[in-house]
Amino acid sequence: MKSSTHIMVVDDEETICEALMAWFVKDGYKVETALSGDEALKRLQDKPFDIFIVDLKMPGMDGIELLSRIKEKLSDAVVVMITAHGSIQTAVEAMKRGAIDYLCKPFDPDELSLLMERVMTHKALQQENIALKERLLEQQEDAVDVCIVHSEPMRKIFASIEEMAPSLAPILITGETGVGKDLVARAIHLKSERAFGPFVAVNCGALSESLLESELYGHERGAFTGAVKTRRGRLEMADKGTLFLDEIGEISTKVQVSLLRALEEKHFLRLGGSHPISSDFRLVSATHRDLSPLIKENQFREDFYYRINVITIHIPPLRERLEDIPALSDYFFKRYVEETGKHLEGFTQKALELLESYAWPGNVRELRNIIERAVVIAKGRMIGAEELKFLDSGSSPIEIGSLTLEEIEINHIKTTLASCKGNISRTANRLGINRSTLARKIKRYDVKIHD
Amino acid sequence: MNADASEPVAQAHLDLIPIGKVDPLAASVVAANLQAILGLNTNILDSLPEPDYAFLARRGQYEAGKILRELASMPDGSRFKLGLVQVDIYTPILTFVYGESQLGGKAALISLSRIHDQDPMKIYIRAAKIGIHEMGHLLGIVHCRAPDCLMHFSSNLEQLDTLPLRFCNACEYEARRRLRYLFGG
Repeated sequence: MKSSTHIMVVDDEETICEALMAWFVKDGYKVETALSGDEALKRLQDKPFDIFIVDLKMPGMDGIELLSRIKEKLSDAVVVMITAHGSIQTAVEAMKRGAIDYLCKPFDPDELSLLMERVMTHKALQQENIALKERLLEQQEDAVDVCIVHSEPMRKIFASIEEMAPSLAPILITGETGVGKDLVARAIHLKSERAFGPFVAVNCGALSESLLESELYGHERGAFTGAVKTRRGRLEMADKGTLFLDEIGEISTKVQVSLLRALEEKHFLRLGGSHPISSDFRLVSATHRDLSPLIKENQFREDFYYRINVITIHIPPLRERLEDIPALSDYFFKRYVEETGKHLEGFTQKALELLESYAWPGNVRELRNIIERAVVIAKGRMIGAEELKFLDSGSSPIEIGSLTLEEIEINHIKTTLASCKGNISRTANRLGINRSTLARKIKRYDVKIHD
Repeated sequence: MNADASEPVAQAHLDLIPIGKVDPLAASVVAANLQAILGLNTNILDSLPEPDYAFLARRGQYEAGKILRELASMPDGSRFKLGLVQVDIYTPILTFVYGESQLGGKAALISLSRIHDQDPMKIYIRAAKIGIHEMGHLLGIVHCRAPDCLMHFSSNLEQLDTLPLRFCNACEYEARRRLRYLFGG
């Protein structure tokens, strides 16, 4: 790493520049020197440097001004100030303005080598941080990928996520099991200003009351049998991030009361603890249950409901947004083909028809599992009806009882168009009507065609 | 190598030059180790006078760079010049140095001032380590990250004493390659 690290030494005394250059070159760094701040900034126009060793007192532009100018150009540049013994106060001022450290001339060999170790560790952490942020951005793109939406209701949901993500208001996500509530929660987190903070998820339905309390608030050593050491709770871990409480409809009224207090007072106690702990998190909750009847039956507290439900997002089940099936199928297909390393090209027409005609009681999760299974068992180059035959036998009809004949026709045209990627001729062929009839219907029903 | 200053060795690669009053045994041990570890034929020259020209009264020390320039300007003798002083030496940025050299250059310097010990052999070994380290710099080798290589930077005596009297494989290879390039064989 040293040989790829560029250092610039800036000092008006040539002997200091030469001595520092000699030391750094022997230590394996690439070094250049400048005798003034102006010269340093001029060099900086040609190429970037990683570390700057800057003298505080120089005629013309002094070290403090040069520090500010360097930071304007290269915000992640590491600047070390060097100073005479008399000007430590100014060196401290420089550190307040972003210098990483300072050295008093002449330095002890130990001091210089320890400082460089510290600087290099700082640089390594900085690079690791950049890499992690890049990975997070990739994940952000992945999260958007997974929430592939073609249908109108989902487009509206994702447009609203963009708007509501930056706010701090608690969000309640509702929808059937398997619709991807957790993915929407993650998308909200990644779109918010807290994206670089933690996303802490708790499945409230999976834990007993006492375990859930311990999980949420943490506990002090000896708080209960088995609490052999102090443990931080999920609320604490979510500081500066997002707390996602899944299956919130399952929590007891006792935990609802304590959570309500924690949300309102912004602090809480660990189990067995006496010091209040504050945590700054954004709450996103999710449930597959309709909470209104639970409130009527006093199983869910109304005050808690209004506290967690400032904004509601309802995710419709997959059977109500058939247009999303081709794109989601394609997404999961590519993902599992990559994971398994199989050479598959796609779905046969019959397979696509099967996927679109199934009711998907398990929603997106079921679709994902079925595509994974199909990819694993596929023998040819395409996934055909053979790989999806269990859908055919076990499928339940789409619930169309409440729809008019015209609505069914519109839905079917939309779905078929989406699966044919907007190709009119192919859609007409699959629907068993000629091209001009389809065009007339598309115009009459004002169906939007997307590629 | 020849420990006796009056009889110069044939085809010496390095002149070891005591400057001012220096323990002659220290010079012999340094020369012997340079021969044994790097294969450098070392010629110990007669002592030069104390380096008063390099003394800085304000610091009460001698500037290493000035002594190096003096050594490098010596017209005759071997390809490399290694000075050995008893006085305390410094560079403009460091409070003191055990040794100093011109990276890829001609002259290097060892100071015995801060490596004192009750056991004289310990002093000689420390001086030999500094000499070989500085010689590595003269061959253009920079500090090594391997903690068990003599080209690893030591900022205190504890670190210097921990280092073995040898290079790591990579630095050893590089030193041999450069010596072959300079002196053939």
